[in-house]
Amino acid sequence: MISLFNAGLAAYVGALVFAVVYLMSSRRFFDMAANTLMAAGALIQTVYIGMRWVEAGRAPFSNMFESLVLFAWSVAVIYLILRIQRNIPWLGAAASVFSALALAHASTFEADIKPLMPALQSNWLSFHVLTCFLGYGGFAVAFLLGIGFLVADRSASKVKPETREALETVMTRTISFGFLFLTLGILTGAVWANSAWGTYWSWDPKETWSLITWFIYAIFLHCRFMRGWRGQASALISIIGFASVLFTYYGVNFLLSGLHSYAQ
Amino acid sequence: MSDQNQSEAPDAPIKAPGIVGSIASLLGSLKFSLGVVVIIALACIAGTVIPQGEQVSRYLMKNPGPHKGLELMTSLGLTHVFSSWWFAVLLCVLAASLLVCTGRRFQAIRRSSGAMRVRVGGSFVTHVSLLLVLAGGVVRVLWGEKGILELSEGQETTSCAGADGIMPIPFTVRLVKFELELYKSPGQAAGAEGDVLFVQWPEKGLAVKLPVELMKANVVVPPREQMAPDNAFRVTVERYVPDFFMDSATGEAKSRSDQPNNPALYVSVTGGGITNAQWVFARFPDFSKHSGPKGGAAMPLQFQFLSGSANQAAMGRSSGPVKAFRSTVELLENGQVVLKKTIAVNSPLAHRGYTFYQVSYNPEDLTWTALQVVRDPGVPIVYAGFLLMMVGLTVVFCVGPYLDDKRKKAREAV
Repeated sequence: MISLFNAGLAAYVGALVFAVVYLMSSRRFFDMAANTLMAAGALIQTVYIGMRWVEAGRAPFSNMFESLVLFAWSVAVIYLILRIQRNIPWLGAAASVFSALALAHASTFEADIKPLMPALQSNWLSFHVLTCFLGYGGFAVAFLLGIGFLVADRSASKVKPETREALETVMTRTISFGFLFLTLGILTGAVWANSAWGTYWSWDPKETWSLITWFIYAIFLHCRFMRGWRGQASALISIIGFASVLFTYYGVNFLLSGLHSYAQ
Repeated sequence: MSDQNQSEAPDAPIKAPGIVGSIASLLGSLKFSLGVVVIIALACIAGTVIPQGEQVSRYLMKNPGPHKGLELMTSLGLTHVFSSWWFAVLLCVLAASLLVCTGRRFQAIRRSSGAMRVRVGGSFVTHVSLLLVLAGGVVRVLWGEKGILELSEGQETTSCAGADGIMPIPFTVRLVKFELELYKSPGQAAGAEGDVLFVQWPEKGLAVKLPVELMKANVVVPPREQMAPDNAFRVTVERYVPDFFMDSATGEAKSRSDQPNNPALYVSVTGGGITNAQWVFARFPDFSKHSGPKGGAAMPLQFQFLSGSANQAAMGRSSGPVKAFRSTVELLENGQVVLKKTIAVNSPLAHRGYTFYQVSYNPEDLTWTALQVVRDPGVPIVYAGFLLMMVGLTVVFCVGPYLDDKRKKAREAV
């Protein structure tokens, strides 16, 4: 199991190396190698998560280690889906850095499979966490695109208008994807909470921060679609939104106590 | 899912005259709506970073004395944000704004066509769903009830402790049984932590406690004696059964459950010219079930199974992680049992609009249970809202863009 975890991490690091070489050399071979390694990393992680699922006898999404593994996986998978549709040369490097860092950080947490507390023993665990992390993955990719957009915008003379538009389009698309899945994650969490605790909403810090995150992206989508916001403003909201995602996921676990305190 | 490069169909201007028109126009403006959302988001942040409710009470108990900052925050409602009047007003303003926006979305459906119409329709459904969720919340506040029901085994009641006093329940609830289930300690497949096999040879002064580990051979020799063929015994725990019973049909030893109700070890002994195997019971130390001894000589060793898990279970104390706790209850109407069910976390019992949730137990008294009783007529409305929200968002982000792409491809083909 540990060797599979390390193999996934190594694949993402390898993808990063090839992606950087591709950015410097512009040779297609390195782009292909980087994407192949990224796909290999995602595949290895899929097998790892599957094996852990079988060994634990439940969805392996119950603590920081397991959720970071899922986060790395979701970013890699969402990047690969985007890559099939469009080639944004530096995004592979950024996504592989993200996934590799998430896995490296996961390795600092205890990897032992722990028994689940009664509240977590539910089929809703897999639906709720998986949908939330697909949402987080979408927002993470949108955040990388937002950063890329701002960097590209600073060197405006070198960036073609179609590149700017492509970045904005993909950013909006990933945020729409993330918003759909975050909504599903919040709703499945509410249904689960009602089944476990008798209330679908209790203003627990995790719930409240997920709502704040949802508000931020709802504002983004309204500004984009209703007012046609473009450029730096939408990139900035994407970055602020991801800061909120990180606080919802990470900050709440360690800084605020509540019903989700088992997630540490 | 694809991007929409053009803005959605503009909302229709509000034509109502006078002050009503002005208010509706304000409520329906995107700037105003998003401004309200931003203020609610800021209030939510305050509600998570400023200590709330019980946290404040605990802080004041630990740190008595004047706390001017805290008093000011309390007077502003910042220490109970989510139950404050101003937060309720904010939610009402949001609902009013949503209502006007939903009406404008409805008008926009009629003025749009093709993929845009589908997308605006999805947006309309999404806004309706948000209104339903808020309406469900209002129904809960106005007509919902919540209470805590505490029962011991055999006890029955027709009421529980609600937020504002006694909360009546229109039928009788009786606790039949409470059960606590613990996880086995990791790596202790043979039994729980603290399980020990006590081996004695009284004549020789031998008394050793062997940790219970399956298939591990332990050689025991009387104290101050050299190991020899007639005084060294190889003791191996071959099997652990938490809840022993003998299947009369097959003659096999089996376990009724995972609970340490009747823990037993199957211990084999070789040495001193004999081979022996026997069941040793934690609850019945004087009773052992032999399959031997073989070899002619009498078995000099005596065994006792000191089961930590059995003792803990018997004393009603939990030492390991809790796997589950559940209450079997009967609901009675006119003296007749109409429903019997085991309630566990994630497995509530619903009857006539009342739902019972397993919330607590007493580790010192495993005949006692605490159930939360909830009557929330708003739940179906909220769930309908959830369903509509997913339908609306799927239409906005998946179906609309798909139709857009299809139309674009058709145009390119032409």
